[in-house]
Amino acid sequence: MIPASFEYFAPRSLEEALQLLAHHGTEAKLLAGGHSLLPMMKLRLATPRTLIDLGRIRGLSYIREDGGRISIGAMTTHAEVESSELLRRRAPLLPETAAEIGDVQVRNRGTLGGSLAHADPAADYPAALLALDAECVLTSQKGTRTVVAKDFFVDMLTTALQAGEILTEVRFAADSPRTGSAYRKLHHPASGFAIVGVAARLTLDATGKGSAVSVGITGVAPKPYRATGVERGLLGQTLDAKRIAEASAQATRGVEPLSDLQASARYRAAMAAVFTRRALAAALGRAQKQG
Amino acid sequence: MAKVLTRVELNGVVNDVWVEVPENEPAAWPKQAELAVLGKPLPRVDGPDKVSGRAKYTHDVNLSHMLWMKFFRSPYPHARITSLDTSRAEALPGVKRVYTYENTPDISWYANRSKLFDTTLRFVGDEVAAVVAVDEHIAADALPLIDVEYEEMPYVLDAETALSPDAPAIHEGGPQDAPGARNLQGGRPSLYTRGDVEKGFAEADFVIEHTFRSPCQVHACLETHCSVAAWQGDKLTVWDSTQAVHPVRESLAQILNIPIANIRVICLYSGGGFGSKLWINKYTVLAALAARDLGRPVKVTLDREEDALAMGNRPANVMTIRAGCKRDGTLTALTLKNIGSVGAYNAGAGVGTPLREVYRCPNVSTEESNVYINADVARPHRAPGHVQGTWGLEQVLDILAEKCGLDPLDFRLRNYSDTDQVRNLPYSTKGLREAYEKGAEKFGWRDRTARQALSRGPKKRGFGLATQIWGGAGGPPGYAVVNLYSDGTAAVFSGGQDIGSATRTSMLQVAAEELGLPADKLSIVMGDTQGTPYGFVSGGSRTTPSQAPAVRMAAAEVKGQLLELAGKQMNLPAQRLSTREGYVFDTQNPSTRKPIAEVTKELQFGFGTGDRVQNMLIGKGWRGPNPADVSVNSWGAQFAEVEVDIETGEIRVLRIVAAHEAGRLVNPLTASSQIEGGVIQGLGFALFEERVLNNASGRMVNANLHDYKIPTMKDIPEIESVLIDLPDARANSVGVKGLGEPPIIPTPGAIANAVADALGVRVFETPMTPQRVLEALEKGLVLRAQPEEGRRA
Repeated sequence: MIPASFEYFAPRSLEEALQLLAHHGTEAKLLAGGHSLLPMMKLRLATPRTLIDLGRIRGLSYIREDGGRISIGAMTTHAEVESSELLRRRAPLLPETAAEIGDVQVRNRGTLGGSLAHADPAADYPAALLALDAECVLTSQKGTRTVVAKDFFVDMLTTALQAGEILTEVRFAADSPRTGSAYRKLHHPASGFAIVGVAARLTLDATGKGSAVSVGITGVAPKPYRATGVERGLLGQTLDAKRIAEASAQATRGVEPLSDLQASARYRAAMAAVFTRRALAAALGRAQKQG
Repeated sequence: MAKVLTRVELNGVVNDVWVEVPENEPAAWPKQAELAVLGKPLPRVDGPDKVSGRAKYTHDVNLSHMLWMKFFRSPYPHARITSLDTSRAEALPGVKRVYTYENTPDISWYANRSKLFDTTLRFVGDEVAAVVAVDEHIAADALPLIDVEYEEMPYVLDAETALSPDAPAIHEGGPQDAPGARNLQGGRPSLYTRGDVEKGFAEADFVIEHTFRSPCQVHACLETHCSVAAWQGDKLTVWDSTQAVHPVRESLAQILNIPIANIRVICLYSGGGFGSKLWINKYTVLAALAARDLGRPVKVTLDREEDALAMGNRPANVMTIRAGCKRDGTLTALTLKNIGSVGAYNAGAGVGTPLREVYRCPNVSTEESNVYINADVARPHRAPGHVQGTWGLEQVLDILAEKCGLDPLDFRLRNYSDTDQVRNLPYSTKGLREAYEKGAEKFGWRDRTARQALSRGPKKRGFGLATQIWGGAGGPPGYAVVNLYSDGTAAVFSGGQDIGSATRTSMLQVAAEELGLPADKLSIVMGDTQGTPYGFVSGGSRTTPSQAPAVRMAAAEVKGQLLELAGKQMNLPAQRLSTREGYVFDTQNPSTRKPIAEVTKELQFGFGTGDRVQNMLIGKGWRGPNPADVSVNSWGAQFAEVEVDIETGEIRVLRIVAAHEAGRLVNPLTASSQIEGGVIQGLGFALFEERVLNNASGRMVNANLHDYKIPTMKDIPEIESVLIDLPDARANSVGVKGLGEPPIIPTPGAIANAVADALGVRVFETPMTPQRVLEALEKGLVLRAQPEEGRRA
């Protein structure tokens, strides 16, 4: 429970942070809340030489909408996402997901960018980001580039972030009319991480058929994924409980579920189907309410 | 003074000890006596210290110039050290010394089967070396610099495999070194029989047999194990997170070969022990040795992983229970075969007491094997054996009740036992029937079918109950001293400790009641060997029934002196006087009274004032023998309401009604707290807790509170305590029995029965994880297609 010694920097600007990161290279880790990194350091699973704390940089914490596009600064805390009126109105899937992360203390300190860059395979946000077709803005001394969520998550604890890059913003489209969404998860009994987490967003056309359906699943595989088999079964179809149940059976199609102390691969696959069904059913109910 | 041998039980182990019979012990208060302080909801006297952070736990003790100690532990489940080189670690700046088997006195450990540092390591976590450094960080940095080479040896991690003829021997030589029994502690199982079980099964209309598996549960004390040792000349002070300040002092004296009187052991506040802190630990001895060698205080705190690896556990058990009953529900035979894993050294893993004692049954046999495995040694864990044994037995009862078409509660009442069938003695008191009745009423047991309708979608409701027995008599040794001062205030010095169960408050209430003083006129000291008389360990639900009579006796002696003094002042014979609510009064004319503080004014010190020779009144008390002609037990029943999601297997415990009888109710607030704590820990056993060892390495894969789940706020159901107040005049002068362990005992069984009620199938293994629930449901669907088992023609 005693971390190895390390050097600590608290830059005041993004430029300063990028400079430090460029200088210290792979010896450095970014501190963006610390609810994953610090426990790993205490257990000496992570022993970075240098910590660059992003917490004192102004201007990385915001939630705004511009022309139907929502952008969120990477240092926005889970609590800020959870309680954002704008998001609750325009993209309620994200605050609903944020409310499921850890506990109050974790949500008060943990940040959107920190969680995404850590890429824990059981984190909640990635499911929502996939379902929202979000894109991630990565900044380095060379400039910025954007990567879609599907490509951002590369593998367990591995993202598309290159050396010298900092995740600075997440963007996605606000909900269009007749859209409903929901996040449903099976909690890890101790940590509350997702053994299975399913984020669903669907849009109905005037006749009640699914004109857009997206399902993001976390916790099940080494990296979060879009359940395309499920989506295909519902697109263009008249949506009801029966059809959702049938389509949800495809939740783990093409993926090899993880197996651990809490859940065998078989149990995880079964739960992926159950929670996909529950998320889609809830999303459908919400979309229909908007009539 | 007469001496007698009396029977004393601790954690299921019975010993006869000699004790002096007190001559002036006050008679038990009559059942209906109107008491002023006992039985009242006095808030904990240490509550403000705890919630304000003023309470100093062992972890909070930091001394000037203090050094830190950290342990290097075996990474292998069974290995011999072939070489050990500490030079790199010793060269690290800030490291003061590294202790190993090469430079540490030959101190025997584990009942002479091992040493403080052994060269043969028998479990992952076994101590290899200890580093002492100027701070905790440097001590941690030095650990990986210790170079050890090992010869790995074959190992075995579970009791069933350990009993197989080709299993590796964990201890070599001796009579046990025979195929099939080489890992059996004592060389043979322990056996019990009464009646004729074959005849009993022949008489049965229904016979069932099931095997129940319960895992190893670690204690997970919120305060991990910790000691601080400091010498001043030849005097040693040790702050220790323990349940046994006086026994730890005696052990230190013996091991270090110094006088008991030169040692002070302190543990004023405890962050949980649950049986894992009942005796001296290696780290405490090493801290004392290092502090002496290096001339500076030494602190050692174990981390969460070390606590899980090396500080004891509730053993894993495989229990096969066979049971038979008549069509009307009368039990005719019960048998138990239990295989329990004690770990690498001697310990207890028996589970048979509830099966032998709770229900009336003429034909009973039990066969219990304590088996060595290459894992940490078991220690008593809150109600050792009773939790597992009750969880299995109570499910068997429900299965039989269903076969007979009887309500589970009626089935239990049909087999109610009025005598202790193992010892052939009547019970001193037995409030179980009342616990059943009042608990069932509070729970709404008889109307529970109406609540079944609350099942929603995949979430099914279920209801279950279970019964509990515990030997809560306590007994000697236990001493107390009470001082009454010139301002009418009193101080109590009691052996034993308050390990979180509000013992200080209870003891203070006993003294206040006897002295006739309001509780706020008393203070109490427990948990410091300097200034308190001897008390045995605070464990086994023994503290209150052992110490309360001693405290009362001491207070009664002081009261006698006070009344003598008051008699002279009031010109009345002392025998006519008594005390209540701060006054001495004339029992024949209660309006004639005098404040106690006025009476004691005469004790005030002053030069040349009269012929007074005393400045305070002192009373001494001790715990007398237990009654020989009755069996003393604590009783209870719990009722559980659960909701099970049949799609995910998740169990949510909604409500527990816990009805317990432990003699006289000392304090309803603190009794309820005890019950809530027990229920929560029982819920952890039922649903979450399991030490998982990796077969390929012998290492524990969940030695942290992320992977080893214990209940937290969001898991805790509504807990309603039903307190049965039944003073037990035969047990002791205060009429109290132990309540520490009882409330954990029936919780897992009640939950298991409720889950079975919700699902229609049973989970025969704890913890009942969502995955196991779904597997049981799948298996149940298959089984239902087959004919019913066990039905006799």
